[in-house]
Amino acid sequence: MDLVSGYKGMVGLVFGNENSGSSEDSYVERLLDRISNGALAEDRRTAVAELQSVVAESRAAQLAFGAMGFPILMGVLKEERDDVEMVRGALETLVSALTPIDHGKGPKNEVQPALMNTDLLSREAENISLLLSLLTEEDFYIRYYTLQLLTALLTNSPNRLQEAILTIPRGITRLMDMLMDREVIRNEALLLLTYLTREAEEIQKILVFEGAFEKIFSIIKEEGGSEGGVVVQDCLELLNNLLRNNASNQILLRETMGFDPLISILKLRGSTYSFTQQKTINLLSALETINLLLMGGPEAESAKDANRLLTNKTVLVQKKVLDHLLMLGVESQWAPVAVRCAALQCIGDLIAGYPKNLDALASKVLGEEPHVEPALNSILRIILRTSSVQEFIAADYVFKCFCEKNSDGQTMLASTLIPQPHLMTHAPLEEDVNMSFGSMLLRGLTLNENDGDLETCCRAASVLSYILKNNIQCKERVLRIELEAPMPSLGAPEPLMHRMVKYLALASSMKSKDGKSSPTGNLYVQPIILKLLVTWLADCPNAVHCFLDSRPHLTYLLELVSNPSATVCIRGLTAVLLGECVLYNKSSESGKDAFTIVDSISQKVGLTSYFLKFDEMQKSFLFSSAKPAQPRKALTRSNAASMAEIEDVEENDSSNQNEDHPILISTFDAQFVNLVKKLELDIRENIIEVYSQPKSKVAVVPAELEQKSGESDGDYIKRLKSFVEKQCSEIQDLLGRNANLAEDLAKTGGGSISQPEQRAGGASERVQVETLRRDLQEASQRLEMLKTEKAKIESEASMYQNLAGKMESDLQSLSDAYNSLEQANYHLEKEVKALKSGGATPSPDIDAIKAEAREEAQKESEAELNDLLVCLGQEQSKVEKLSARLLELGEDVDKLLEGIGDDMGLPEDSEDEED
Amino acid sequence: MSYAYLFKYIIIGDTGVGKSCLLLQFTDKRFQPVHDLTIGVEFGARMITIDNKPIKLQIWDTAGQESFRSITRSYYRGAAGALLVYDITRRETFNHLASWLEDARQHANANMTIMLIGNKCDLAHRRAVSTEEGELFAKEHGLIFMEASAKTAQNVEEAFISTASTIYKKIQEGVFDVSNESYGIKVGYGGIPGPSGGRDGSSSQAGGCCS
Repeated sequence: MDLVSGYKGMVGLVFGNENSGSSEDSYVERLLDRISNGALAEDRRTAVAELQSVVAESRAAQLAFGAMGFPILMGVLKEERDDVEMVRGALETLVSALTPIDHGKGPKNEVQPALMNTDLLSREAENISLLLSLLTEEDFYIRYYTLQLLTALLTNSPNRLQEAILTIPRGITRLMDMLMDREVIRNEALLLLTYLTREAEEIQKILVFEGAFEKIFSIIKEEGGSEGGVVVQDCLELLNNLLRNNASNQILLRETMGFDPLISILKLRGSTYSFTQQKTINLLSALETINLLLMGGPEAESAKDANRLLTNKTVLVQKKVLDHLLMLGVESQWAPVAVRCAALQCIGDLIAGYPKNLDALASKVLGEEPHVEPALNSILRIILRTSSVQEFIAADYVFKCFCEKNSDGQTMLASTLIPQPHLMTHAPLEEDVNMSFGSMLLRGLTLNENDGDLETCCRAASVLSYILKNNIQCKERVLRIELEAPMPSLGAPEPLMHRMVKYLALASSMKSKDGKSSPTGNLYVQPIILKLLVTWLADCPNAVHCFLDSRPHLTYLLELVSNPSATVCIRGLTAVLLGECVLYNKSSESGKDAFTIVDSISQKVGLTSYFLKFDEMQKSFLFSSAKPAQPRKALTRSNAASMAEIEDVEENDSSNQNEDHPILISTFDAQFVNLVKKLELDIRENIIEVYSQPKSKVAVVPAELEQKSGESDGDYIKRLKSFVEKQCSEIQDLLGRNANLAEDLAKTGGGSISQPEQRAGGASERVQVETLRRDLQEASQRLEMLKTEKAKIESEASMYQNLAGKMESDLQSLSDAYNSLEQANYHLEKEVKALKSGGATPSPDIDAIKAEAREEAQKESEAELNDLLVCLGQEQSKVEKLSARLLELGEDVDKLLEGIGDDMGLPEDSEDEED
Repeated sequence: MSYAYLFKYIIIGDTGVGKSCLLLQFTDKRFQPVHDLTIGVEFGARMITIDNKPIKLQIWDTAGQESFRSITRSYYRGAAGALLVYDITRRETFNHLASWLEDARQHANANMTIMLIGNKCDLAHRRAVSTEEGELFAKEHGLIFMEASAKTAQNVEEAFISTASTIYKKIQEGVFDVSNESYGIKVGYGGIPGPSGGRDGSSSQAGGCCS
């Protein structure tokens, strides 16, 4: 085989590093030889047994076996089915060859013989087919080892095996049949199927087609339901694999077996007070099943999916699942926290957005006559009293789901919010059984105020915020609630809302007192109370009015919003709250209207800095990470134990000190985050509007400016004067605001206020830039000046050049004249000579005349030349002067004069000639 | 939820012939003109009554595309009935019937009841396969035949129910060993096969081979 020879090379390489290798190699080879060529059946069986034991113990032998053994042992499985012992031995050897030997030694990147062997075995689909056919063998061990072998293959290379099994006709049917086999085989098959169904949707469906649900539930029943052992856990894990994100299978379960068998697992019976770890895990697994039936698919698609969920919810409630969930989540005193939390969460999912189920929960009562109470009251008690953060979050979730889009439910709860006489609020905690929901909640809101512990108060506030959410009637109703002062002697009763603001302030003062080591509680006390107020004021002008009734409230908010020791979240929510005071302000009372509040914000905080609080909050972890509910982590054998013990992980987890505290995460759910985001947009728009269109106090009506008939001049002037005064004061006002804005603008220009260094840096930079700009301006001005100067000089130079040219041409003509004179002279002389030699002697005369004439001409030309020279000298000195100046100005004089120099040459020449 | 019998059906045939629409019409009494391609298989269920007995139908609607064939074959063996569907307006879907049938015969149990359905009979003006051809093919291969329309619901109920009647009749005749679930038939709690078996000679015969 090609493959094997390649593998041999590999093995040789590996053996090169291992000393004992070659001996194992040859030993394995000898055993394989005995198996394939041996004549005696007994000897071959012994060889197989020996092979198995050596492969089970040594990595080297595993490698050696992988290199040579597979064809031989597969041959045994194929050809020698009758020899049960041989087949058993071969299978057992294969299992050993695929089981990693962990001696905890050797480098990590070393070849894993078990993995390589898996690869070799699973490469041929035919091998898988052969193995599956072995499942029909009579012999127990053959089936058992075969299952083990398949499980090993699946663990090491899941995809290949899934594919192989899918393509083998009736492959899954064979595996399913194993579930009806003897117990050991059945349990092994369960594990195998659980591995097989983790991801492959098609396998999940075929399994269900083959009747997996019936088999799973019958095994669970046989094993004792939730009281059963790990087999029940395995069954539930398989069940969950079949249902997770698989709408088709969910429908099938619902439509054929129904949810009864599932719900009956949740039923507590017998020893309800004892919850072993196994039972806890079983119950958690069954609760996960419920959760899977209630969760949307990963893509949360289409109406079809919504329809499926709705039907699931309906059927589950019809089957009384709510009773069992309430038993597990609320009533049972012995159920572990993890189970209680999971049950509460299921209750929340079950009722969310489904009116029928909401009503079902609302009308549930718990306990036995005469001590019955509504289930919602019991859940509220959990919220107020539990010591587990997780349990609070889970119970809180129930109320969140209950109040979501359920205005009737909200109204029902709010209607019971009636303050009790003072004595009642101070009754011992345990006596709340007969209290109404509202009384309990109110007591929770005001409890422990004196101890300075606002934990209970903020939990109650969280519930109250759900009751008020998007429900104007409830908001108005709760606004009217007035509480007695803590000590009756101390003044009049105050509205509940004012009390909440007081607690908000109290929480921050406690924080500053305790410093850094403040209890974790305070991390979320303020945000939760702020959330309540934000929810309350949203879209409710009366709430805004009530809030602003007390002047210090606004002052406090203005302080809190820029308080550097508050978290980003607190400052952000405070900013939202302030914004709501503007946005939903319908008041026209001076000092309480939107205008005044915008004014105070801009004066005390500055608009830029104010809007910055929103941005900071948007960028914070809580906002960026808020997403709609994620599916919970699947419960598997490996993580089940840790999931069963979630009790108070937060106590020792220091990371929870920060803003990813679980309570904060649940407070800032996707819906609230969206509300805040929407509010922010509106607030920005509104504030800009308020600011840009100041309501003018003085109406200008042109007709009124005229003198009225019958009005005396004095009155008219008085009236006009007062009008002008009013306008004047308004202008003053506007100027003041303008100054504020300008200041704000200036601050923005210098960078953000919270980063003074940067601003300073910016300012100094600006100064520098200013200086540089000035310098630049100056330089360019000078350059301009120089340019014009240069142009002037240039024009002057060219003028002189022209002049010089003219002089030159003058000189030329002069010298021409001179030349012609001389020539004439020469001619004359020649003539005279000729005449002289001709005989006559008029020569002395002629000579005399000639000399005279020459003298005269010479004199004349000399005088002219002198003039010219003087003139030239003047010009030259002028040029010299100018070029000196040009040089001074950095002008290249030689270059400038280049052209001129050539022309100048000529007159000079003529001068030389002259000299 | 109680039933006398539970029958497993599969729906097979070329892609786009309207298998999923037939199922949707049967289970939800709805028609969806645009239907996504089926991936692998989808499930549907409905209760019907035959001979005054409640019978639960579990129906697996398979993907018609060639690439899913190996997956859908896994469903053949465990099914008691199959609806083999073609589209009367597309000749090629009729031509492929033989290969579908061969697949079914090879992988299903021999007693599987097969119903041939010529779907989209509301589109008679675009007909490409005549009713007679369909009848002839069914007769040759021993199938029940019907033309139906998932859009108008014509013959949809009848197709599913007459398949069930045929299976029911086969049970009465003792063709199946109903205790063996691999035939795609399950005896439920609601209907007791005992009394009917007592009355019916052939059924008691079946009971006899169980014991």
